[in-house]
Amino acid sequence: MKRLCIPLLILLLAGAALPSLAQDMLAYPSDLSACEVDMTGETLTVFHFGDLSGPYAFITQPIISAMNDAISYWNGQGGVCGAQLEQVYEDTGGNREAAQSAYDRFTSQYPDELDLLMLYSSDDGELLREQLAADEIVSYISAGSIESLYGEDGMTPGWLYASNPLYINQFGFFCQFVAASPETFPDPVIGFVTWPNAFGRAGTEPAAREYCANLGVDVLEEPQFFLPTDTDILTQVQNATDAGANIIYTNSLASGPALIAGTLVDLGLEEDVKLAGVNWVMDTTVGLLGQRVLKPNGLPSVDGMFGSMPFRWWSEVSHPAVQFVYQQFSINQRAIAEQNIAYLVSWGVIDSIIETYIRTVNRVGSLDAVTGADIRDTVESMDYAVLGGLFQARFEEGMRDGAMNRIAVMKYANADMSGPATGPADALLVDGPSGKMFVPLVLPLTDFMPVPQLRSQ
Amino acid sequence: MTEFINRNRRHLTWALYALVAVLILLFVGDQLAGKRAARVVQTLISGVLVGGVYGLVALGIVVINKASGVFNFAHGWMMVVGGMIFWSFFTVSEISVPGALLLSTATMLMIMSTVSWRTLREGRNPLITVGGIVLLTALMTVGGIEFQWLHALAGTFAGAILTGLAVERFAIRPLIGQPLFTAVLMTLAVAEVLHGVTQIAWGTVELNLPIFVDPHTNSRFRPIRLDAFRDLLDGVAIVRVELIIAFVLAIIAFAGFIVFFRYTSVGLAMRATSEDQQLAQSVGLRVRVILAITWAVAAFLASIAGVLQGGAVGLSLNISYVALRVFPAVLLGGLESIAGALIGGIIIGIVEQFGTLLNSSEQVGTNLAPYLVLMLVLIIRPDGLFGEKRIERI
Repeated sequence: MKRLCIPLLILLLAGAALPSLAQDMLAYPSDLSACEVDMTGETLTVFHFGDLSGPYAFITQPIISAMNDAISYWNGQGGVCGAQLEQVYEDTGGNREAAQSAYDRFTSQYPDELDLLMLYSSDDGELLREQLAADEIVSYISAGSIESLYGEDGMTPGWLYASNPLYINQFGFFCQFVAASPETFPDPVIGFVTWPNAFGRAGTEPAAREYCANLGVDVLEEPQFFLPTDTDILTQVQNATDAGANIIYTNSLASGPALIAGTLVDLGLEEDVKLAGVNWVMDTTVGLLGQRVLKPNGLPSVDGMFGSMPFRWWSEVSHPAVQFVYQQFSINQRAIAEQNIAYLVSWGVIDSIIETYIRTVNRVGSLDAVTGADIRDTVESMDYAVLGGLFQARFEEGMRDGAMNRIAVMKYANADMSGPATGPADALLVDGPSGKMFVPLVLPLTDFMPVPQLRSQ
Repeated sequence: MTEFINRNRRHLTWALYALVAVLILLFVGDQLAGKRAARVVQTLISGVLVGGVYGLVALGIVVINKASGVFNFAHGWMMVVGGMIFWSFFTVSEISVPGALLLSTATMLMIMSTVSWRTLREGRNPLITVGGIVLLTALMTVGGIEFQWLHALAGTFAGAILTGLAVERFAIRPLIGQPLFTAVLMTLAVAEVLHGVTQIAWGTVELNLPIFVDPHTNSRFRPIRLDAFRDLLDGVAIVRVELIIAFVLAIIAFAGFIVFFRYTSVGLAMRATSEDQQLAQSVGLRVRVILAITWAVAAFLASIAGVLQGGAVGLSLNISYVALRVFPAVLLGGLESIAGALIGGIIIGIVEQFGTLLNSSEQVGTNLAPYLVLMLVLIIRPDGLFGEKRIERI
């Protein structure tokens, strides 16, 4: 059956704010290095693999759309320094054996071309960390675990480079924000209610607890775990609040934060207990799924949820990177449900890959001569505003993860789109598949600032 | 001493199990003593209600097993397909008539050709087929968004029946007479096919299925607060309405199936078929038809469970994993027992919730406690609490 429309309309807001985009093609926002070597007639292959059909498929699928759109855009512009872009990718379904098999296939089929590989998940990063180093292949990843980026001791930088800050650093950054906002968070006690995998557990380490305690923010020792298939998490949420938590922090996606927020409303704790999480809680899916339960004030349950936002977001419509990606998204008539983190950040990753290759080829003289070690030299000397500022790529001095972060809050747009709604009366409501829908907004509350480095503590 | 042990081995074994059970209860009781009564009651309520959903999922697996002896690993993906079909009809204001016609036609053709394709031309069958197509199409397309429930129920009914019959016709039927293990492996293959079909048809984005919504507030139903017991419980327990609905539907389904298997000729034929397909065929039972009905019924049950689960937490491919969590409930209740599916589901639900109450940080509730209980029960009753003890003559 044909996929039916999902009129979620974050885009309505963005679309209304960007009336001129339909008329004029925007210039590519990046300040890419000039090509000193003509690569006409050659092919620059973007290699990537990961979970496209397993548990994380709902968030990773738009990667393929973004890659297709970016490659089509670049080839339409005459390529990268003349070289045509193409991609080779594989779906591993979130299975480690499949990831290993994909890696083996890639390295045996493309022994010369494979110098730079894009991965999707920390699990794959951990699996391949040693092999990437042995094979001298650089890997870009959106967010990696401590083990994948810095090894088991947390002190050994490898060949993987993440654009987002480590989750533990994001949590430390949130503690900074809480400590600096006593009016919003009086006597803060944070309890983790989170998924039980490596991603979900990040930030529950003693080092993070200790760091936050030093800032005057208590963190409960016992995290509460729930599964993506759970229908009822009253027990976990009550365990945390009974232990004194007045802030619940989560490393979960999509229905995860929405389920916690809904449970808080069910318990009548929406005012007393704040909800926060890693960058993924700010995704579009959460803004939609969080509308299933409304607070007593009539706004969706996730209204007012805090989260990390280490890159520009769709609702920052005045930023050139966002304008450009939005225009490409529209031109390619992508489904609105794909307007998520993966689509946005993948354009940034492609831009990083292109800049990396241009700088490397300029230095070594030709695309054929490029090796993984050359790519690594380039990456570690880069200080680059990806896509003109979508995020910053800076991996000097052994850094393997993003160094800057912001805290944002999820709100819902008001009717004249001048800011957040205070209630359903002044909220922007659009027709959706299940009746009227609120339009989610992500509002940054801080500037980009350095995250604390907690992995080595 | 040795002789005493040998003579009383059975009793001693039971005494040992009883001792272990008492020790566990003492430990749990001691742990619970420090909790407010409201938390204990809340946990019990959550466990029973979540267990009802588990029971409904388990019922679909048991129905297939009861009739065919096959453990259906594709059940989770049948849940996803059913839930997605429901979403497609429920959230669209104008249903595509050609699409509905196609679905109705495929479903009716599969129903009417269950015995063989030739029966489509016999007697009044062509008329019945056309009538069924017209009726189903009308139910799926009549009116506008105000008939969304009718559209969704009709569409899901047709889609589920079609899925179940197609699986039986093209995957299971060719294996009649083959070892059961082959059919079990086939269900793994069917699971992957349904996975792929779902992904192609609906994508992977998590979808909101607003079925438990109060029309006045456009929000999920407010939970029932047991304020009257506040003093008694030292706090307030709540009951989520959507879980009550799911639980009631599960009870109705269970009652219906118990009656169906015990008192209807088709139900009795299903039970006979599960005993021995070749013997059943030799006494004139239409094994093909019976198996087809079983798969259609299981697919419909899976769809109901998928819709309820999707309505409670959102529709995504992850719903398929609920079936994996239900396997302990199926084994606990007994593979062939309808009542066992419900009771097994409720026991697993309660055990999960109390395990989480006592120790969520190590996932005792989901990863350890249900399997410990399952092990304990299987040691004492290898066929499950309500399973049929089979005696094979050698």
